[in-house]
Amino acid sequence: MGGLQKKKYESGSATNYISRNKARKKLSLSLADFRRLCILKGIYPHEPKHKKKVNKGSTAPRTFYLLKDIRFLLHEPIVGKFREYKIFVRKLRKAYGKAEWSGVQRMKENKPAYKLDHIIKERYPTFIDAVRDVDDALSMCFLFSTFARTGKCHVQTIQLCRRLGVEWMNYIITSRSLRKVFLSIKGIYYQAEVLGQTITWIIPYQFAHDHPTDVDYRVMATFTELYTTLLGFVNFRLYQTLNLVYPPKLDGQGEFSLKSECEEDYALESESYSEKLAALSASLARTVPSVEDEEAELDHFPAEGVKKKKKNLEQNKQKKLFEGLKFFLNREVPRESLAFVIRCFGGEVSWDKSLCIGSTYDETDETITHHIVDRPTIDKQYINRYYIQPQWVYDCVNGKILLPVEEYFLGVTLPPHLSPFVEESEGDYVPPEKLKLLALQKGEKPPEEDEEEEEEEEDDEDDEEEDDQSEDEDEAEDEASLAEMEEKRAQGKSLSVKVTPGKVKPENRMRTEQEEKAEEKRLAIMMMKKREKYLYDKIMFGKKRHVREANKLAAKRKAHDDANKPDKKKKKKKC
Amino acid sequence: MAAVRRHKRVAAAQPGFLPIKSSLDGNSSVIKRRKRVNKNKKKSWNRFSDIQDVEEFLDDVRLQERATGGLIAEKTDDTLFFVDTGETEEKDTQARKCKHSKPLRIDLILQPDSHIQAPKNVLAFQQPNAKKQRRISERAAKLAAMGVLPRREKLLQLRSAAAASGLSVKEHPVANNNPDRAFYDLWSAGKTADPYYLEQTKKKLVKRPDRLNEKPSVLPAVEVIAPGGSYNPDFFSHQDLLREAHEVELKKQKAEEKLARQLAVNEDKATEESTFKEQVEGLIEEEEIEPQEPEGDTEDTVMGPTATQEKKTEKQRKKEKAQRIKVKKSLYNIINKNTKVGEVVTCCSLIGIESVLFFRRFQTPDLDVQLSDELASSLRSLKPEGSILKDRFKSLQKRNIIEPRERARFNRKYKLKYSEKRAFREIE
Repeated sequence: MGGLQKKKYESGSATNYISRNKARKKLSLSLADFRRLCILKGIYPHEPKHKKKVNKGSTAPRTFYLLKDIRFLLHEPIVGKFREYKIFVRKLRKAYGKAEWSGVQRMKENKPAYKLDHIIKERYPTFIDAVRDVDDALSMCFLFSTFARTGKCHVQTIQLCRRLGVEWMNYIITSRSLRKVFLSIKGIYYQAEVLGQTITWIIPYQFAHDHPTDVDYRVMATFTELYTTLLGFVNFRLYQTLNLVYPPKLDGQGEFSLKSECEEDYALESESYSEKLAALSASLARTVPSVEDEEAELDHFPAEGVKKKKKNLEQNKQKKLFEGLKFFLNREVPRESLAFVIRCFGGEVSWDKSLCIGSTYDETDETITHHIVDRPTIDKQYINRYYIQPQWVYDCVNGKILLPVEEYFLGVTLPPHLSPFVEESEGDYVPPEKLKLLALQKGEKPPEEDEEEEEEEEDDEDDEEEDDQSEDEDEAEDEASLAEMEEKRAQGKSLSVKVTPGKVKPENRMRTEQEEKAEEKRLAIMMMKKREKYLYDKIMFGKKRHVREANKLAAKRKAHDDANKPDKKKKKKKC
Repeated sequence: MAAVRRHKRVAAAQPGFLPIKSSLDGNSSVIKRRKRVNKNKKKSWNRFSDIQDVEEFLDDVRLQERATGGLIAEKTDDTLFFVDTGETEEKDTQARKCKHSKPLRIDLILQPDSHIQAPKNVLAFQQPNAKKQRRISERAAKLAAMGVLPRREKLLQLRSAAAASGLSVKEHPVANNNPDRAFYDLWSAGKTADPYYLEQTKKKLVKRPDRLNEKPSVLPAVEVIAPGGSYNPDFFSHQDLLREAHEVELKKQKAEEKLARQLAVNEDKATEESTFKEQVEGLIEEEEIEPQEPEGDTEDTVMGPTATQEKKTEKQRKKEKAQRIKVKKSLYNIINKNTKVGEVVTCCSLIGIESVLFFRRFQTPDLDVQLSDELASSLRSLKPEGSILKDRFKSLQKRNIIEPRERARFNRKYKLKYSEKRAFREIE
């Protein structure tokens, strides 16, 4: 009788979940090892819908894992490696305690280690899956490479992260896949397009950071372990797609020009090669001596639509943005970031010899076209080069065209650095700088607009007067012409307007279609019931709110500009 | 020292001194018979034999060796004397000066020429474990003679032999974070063994359930900051960001105020005493007899309030307890509402599951914002805001990849007692 009754918590959701401690004991691992295993394998805790049922009636806060996930973990080979390592540590401690130094040495040489290759293969079965998940890995690797090598986390990890980051940057430079850059207060955001996937990552600034205390370093170190392995394999495969040698080697010509300098000044011999790679100033060697890139790009696919072709052309144009331009970086600008961005778009870049290894030409080179400086003034000024602030490079990249250099001269107040990651939808507020940029991109008479604006800024009142006068003139003209026509009519004279044979206006099909659609829409709205109309009005009101707000902001901006006009005028007069 | 002692005794026997036991009578003819001493015994050697002359001679020899560079009697005539011929040599001095500059005479004179070497510093030559080291080296030599090699040599020989014959040595697994580790093509459709073979030999890995391949969150891995977070932002986007941060701060402040309000003990409530005082205020001035009554009254009133106070304190205690429970419950609610992350909620609603709750609710990270006066005028003067490490950590928590947990703290139940040791206490 008692055996046939169903007991509580023996089936259903209570048996599908397992608490963290129970899971740990099932795997017979320590808590740190269990956490590491879950991170490496990608097992996440699940929140049950009815916590009380799963918790067998208690409301104690517990984290739950799916039992099937933990059963899956039992088959993992690296669980055995974790246990081996625990035993290794115990034996080593005993040997130390007994002062058996030969034993200690022997054991240290046979330290158990595990590999994560099969886990990566299991979690990312295809290469594209891995590429999709690589932006998290990139951010972590770049972050770790900026850590100080004090020994808090393994120095080897930091070195590996640095090497992988440099390899990735070299790949992006060679494939010219960088699309957007954004300088924020946190760090620099980059976006690139690799094999059809959009990858965004963030690099911190090269300044000293004080490390926050509430971050669990062991967890981050485990993530980095996983991500470095992933990134390494992804790098290998990416280099293969471009027929580049992996591990990366510098191109022969580049090597010669770099070896001419005294290498010992910069780094130890063992590190000088990796430092030269990290300088990002030389191109990489290829396995197959390839033909020029342009030939490959001229492959036309007849099935492509017009839009795609246009997009491709635009992209190709963007890839050669800085081609032919020679840049020189002054000491105080962020060298690595600028070198990366400039070389990604085909430009040549160099810096002072004493700054870093790998500078290809000197400051005194005559063919330099742009000199990037971040100081208010500079002593020596060469004639045939522009002295600009670093924001010009980034804004050009985001705007996909070479912007006019005048706004970025030394000492000039820079225009705001807009975020390229913001996609403004229809009714949103668009800052005037962005409007200007769009105009420049389309090529709609940008210099004239500028000139007009300058003229306006020069004389306030005169301008207004002129405007008023011009308006009056226009009006007067219209009125005059009308008056003339009336007079003529009154006088009975024949008007100059004659009857001429009609001209066939070419029907704009698109326009007629649109008009028809608009008419249909209007009819449909008229035919709606009252209730439906009420709903419809509500929805449209909500939609138009956006547009109204945008207009409000635009008005505010105008008021702000008008208020600042006298200030600008004063500044200009002072200058 | 024995000689010195002897000296004292024998000094009296030297010519010129008064004899030791000279009788002042004048009986010098009677010389007392000296006690005969047996010089064959060691005891009497030092006392009764006179070696003063030998000592003197030896002292002199030592002096000569120390000071003048050897016995003077053994020196040649050249070193001691020179013949003064009255001529001066001035030829070929200039030619010699250029090539062989003779050392100065004063330097030669000042060179140390004593035959006694300077004493050596014993400590410099001492090795604390010289014996042990000697023993180790002897043992190693003995073993090498027998043919037993130390471990390192053995391994080296094995490796060189393997390299010479072309066999590969068993490779130790390279550590994961080795900076020189090699990578290979993981996704290549390389030759894989027969799946049945792999299964039977237990080399096939268990298939990963598809449920685990779904991402735990739809949020993107790297979220780009709002356009107001640019280092040189546009005016309005910066204002938007500031407004958001301002609203967050307002919310926090409101929550704090609410808490304070609920926890405040209202001391302004009217007690019986204060009401009585208010009532009696005007009256005391008019009637002067009353101060006496209030004395009696005060006694009574003293009794009164104490009696009612006790009753009240029980009631008050119950009330306070009920209030505390209410506050606890509302606190829990407040924490819930505060940390409701809009993004987590929207993401959960997108997936269609209940909002994911953990014990330690996810604490939204503070917005990284620079105030208008902190904005940098140039890239050089930019001061970065926020830490990317923290940002990545919070992002992982937000995407439900790790759970938001706090570090376990060690709290003591009883406070530690410190006391000075007796010795240090006496120092003052």
